[in-house]
Amino acid sequence: METPPADSVLSLVAISKTYDGARKPALDDVSFAVNPGEFFSILGPSGSGKTTILRTVAGFERPDSGQIVMGGTAVNAVPPFKRDVRTVFQSYALFPHLTVLENVEYPLQMAGEAKADRRRKAHEALELVELASFADRLPHQLSGGQRQRAALARAIVSRPRLLLLDEPLAALDLRLRQQMQHTLVALQKELGIAFMYVTHDQGEALSMSDRVCVLADGKIAQLGTPREIYFAPQNEFVARFVGRSNLVPIEFRSTGADHVGLVGGQQIAGLRAPRGGSARMAIRYEAVQLTPLAPGASPAPGTLRGTVEDVLFLGTSLEVNVQSHGLNLFGTVPASQEATFWVGQDVQVSFDIQNTKVFHD
Amino acid sequence: MTDVTHNTLPGPTLRHPARFRLGQTLTSIPVLAWLFLIVVLPNLLLIGTSFLQTSSGLISFEPTLKNYARMLNSSGFWMLLGRTMMLSFAGCVLATLIAYPLAFYVGRISRRSKALLTILIVLPLWIGLLMRIFAWRVILGQSGVLNAALVSSGVLDEPSSAFLYSPLSVVIVFAYYSVPFIFISTMGAFEKIPQDLFESSQDSGATSWQTFLHMVWPLTRRNLAIGFSLAFLVTVGDFVTPAMIGGVDGTTVGVLISSQFGTANNWPYGAAVAVTLMLAVTLLLGVILKLAPSKGVVVGGEADQSTLAPAAPAARRLGAIGFAAVILYLYLPLAIVVLFSFNAANLQTFPLQGFSLQWYAEIAQDQSLLAAVKRSLLVAFCVVAVSVTVGTAFALIIFYTKLRGARAYELLFALPIATPGVVLGIEMVLGTAALGIPSGVTRVVIGQMSFAMPVTMLLLLVRLRRLDPSLMEASLDLGANHWQSFTHVLLPLIGGTIVAGAFLSLTLSADDVMVTMFLTGGEPTLPIWVFNQMRFGFTPTVNAVFAILIATILVLITVATIAQKKKRLT
Repeated sequence: METPPADSVLSLVAISKTYDGARKPALDDVSFAVNPGEFFSILGPSGSGKTTILRTVAGFERPDSGQIVMGGTAVNAVPPFKRDVRTVFQSYALFPHLTVLENVEYPLQMAGEAKADRRRKAHEALELVELASFADRLPHQLSGGQRQRAALARAIVSRPRLLLLDEPLAALDLRLRQQMQHTLVALQKELGIAFMYVTHDQGEALSMSDRVCVLADGKIAQLGTPREIYFAPQNEFVARFVGRSNLVPIEFRSTGADHVGLVGGQQIAGLRAPRGGSARMAIRYEAVQLTPLAPGASPAPGTLRGTVEDVLFLGTSLEVNVQSHGLNLFGTVPASQEATFWVGQDVQVSFDIQNTKVFHD
Repeated sequence: MTDVTHNTLPGPTLRHPARFRLGQTLTSIPVLAWLFLIVVLPNLLLIGTSFLQTSSGLISFEPTLKNYARMLNSSGFWMLLGRTMMLSFAGCVLATLIAYPLAFYVGRISRRSKALLTILIVLPLWIGLLMRIFAWRVILGQSGVLNAALVSSGVLDEPSSAFLYSPLSVVIVFAYYSVPFIFISTMGAFEKIPQDLFESSQDSGATSWQTFLHMVWPLTRRNLAIGFSLAFLVTVGDFVTPAMIGGVDGTTVGVLISSQFGTANNWPYGAAVAVTLMLAVTLLLGVILKLAPSKGVVVGGEADQSTLAPAAPAARRLGAIGFAAVILYLYLPLAIVVLFSFNAANLQTFPLQGFSLQWYAEIAQDQSLLAAVKRSLLVAFCVVAVSVTVGTAFALIIFYTKLRGARAYELLFALPIATPGVVLGIEMVLGTAALGIPSGVTRVVIGQMSFAMPVTMLLLLVRLRRLDPSLMEASLDLGANHWQSFTHVLLPLIGGTIVAGAFLSLTLSADDVMVTMFLTGGEPTLPIWVFNQMRFGFTPTVNAVFAILIATILVLITVATIAQKKKRLT
């Protein structure tokens, strides 16, 4: 039992929520805290409860049990318009009948600010997102990326302590998405506002966040820095969801003092465990090492023999699908000018054991 | 990890705030009250009355099956019912033959002028039904335009009475005012078919005919059936056209019902006939809708104007000619009325006797006419006011309180719209009489409200459901309370729909004859005044009244169209 850190912008304390008519809870005993100025991401597949967290924090849903604490007080019963939180909606939710400037002025107008002040602040916010020259346009006259930035300007204009972003880049094309990631990080550092960023895209979550909370079925699967999440997944779900990983079934067999790991009956070099029995090894594509085998040659001890089934050319790298001992193993290798792998080729498969994670049954 | 905290601070964790539940019940009371008083009660009264009997003009409260027995045993009644259905059906089929290809032409072939062409076809809807019926009388009458033309060109030796007072003329008039209904309804379906569906059908090796049969027809038949049903309901509830145009062979059940509530003064029998008519209509429309099922939903929105395939020049020309012919069919009768309003002679015959403004001068002196105009304005004002306020309030209640069984409520609200005019008229007589409301303006307002308010409400519900739900949430999120969100976001977004609803209500109110006829008592509105003029001998003043109406509507529509264009450009 710990009290939430006193200086956190937001803490969720044992939040549970089941929607009317649903059998499974959307959120099941979820607790975490967001620090001031932190870029905090909530990552999970669709239906994992990320949007419910966001809507509960914004005030559109009430938790069945638990506490939402902001600024030291529980805000469960506080309506959305009285919370110091702003949301960037997935659909942007720009008011179609108002110009960009009027949209950005809206929260200031509702707060009763004088016209001159809000005009100035709105212009500043638009400058910040490089949209000042579009102030007089209506939302439908903007491109997707511009709408996104207008929504962002509207959300930050009154400098909330916490900004919620609901998959804000989902509707943008790849290039724009990458560009916006840089914009968001820069903006967040400049403003010092805590961001709570909801996404199903692990790339976005890992690249921008200070910390990432991985959700699965309404529960927190893991909460940590992007590096922890990526390199030290605590469970199979995280291992599979973050990064691109093989999940290889392993049998650990006793050798007296130790247990050695076997894949398809073949012992793997360096794979040891304190206990025996079956397990699964999560290994990222880039930690699977592939070496072409000369005809008739046999693989080195502690490695596997495999046959290339197909090869995807990804530009900077190749993704190779290898059939080995009845398993399909995927590995990425750097692409080079000359073709190094072809379908039907015999290869030797070895694993970078430092970069694997074993989950016992 | 320090993040994972499991303590529980004291505080409210309400699952379903009781206050909200109570609020939901309270707000649904007016909705239920309206449904009961305006929809359920009149229908129950109609059914109840059909089991009563009259003795010497007074209703006696002894349950009986006499009325139904009388109908069952009367071969005349079954013939009449059969003819009624046939006339409406034939009228709607004729209208379909005109409107369906027309909708295809306007929706898919004509490109630049789509909006204008649509307005041209829909415009007659705004020009009173009565006036359009009247115009056809001028054309088909014994001394009418058609006879005059045929005699003077030597086709006929003497004016024929065969045109007016025949079933065929009823069918022509029914078709005449059904065209816009079927057109609007099917045009929506044609527009929504993405162009790439046509291309992929061609690409799969289908001929034009196969494409129509296997792709266009299944995607448009539902809308056609709906438009057809709407037109059928309007025609079958129309007792004015058969009475004014049809003569003895053109009489319909509607005429029979209205006479039972008028001169024959046998309400129970009239009610029983009305119930039977409703059953017959429901059965027929049920079969029609069943025969035209809709499968799947067209995704991808409206066809992009720029991607419409260019049609062959010959096809375009053919379409344009057809369109022109239809426009002539729709507007010629109206033009003739306007022409005669400036004719010096008392008779509606060619050649014209010379230009005169005397009929316009007479309008200003006709006190009963002016009183009727004032009454119409008062009624229209009340109906529009109720439509807008109640319609908006109800739409918001149904949408935001997530009323249980909202779809069923909507169907109930729509029931008066789907009730043939003559039946709704007598239902309203029964309902208002039961509540002790006397004939006159109040009754008329209630009667017209019953179908005008739901139109506004249903329009608004469609609009609300299409709004991005995050807009209101965004407003709350940005610090606006519920009232501010309503005035700053919701109202501007649905304002256009409210205005459209008001405009439709105004049209429905100003134009209504079928329902209003039963409710005015000695205080006629303008259409009823005109109807009385037509019944008790004709005065050419009516032409002038209509000409003024047409001019007013044209000005209104033009202004509205220009205003909308301007709004779109800015």
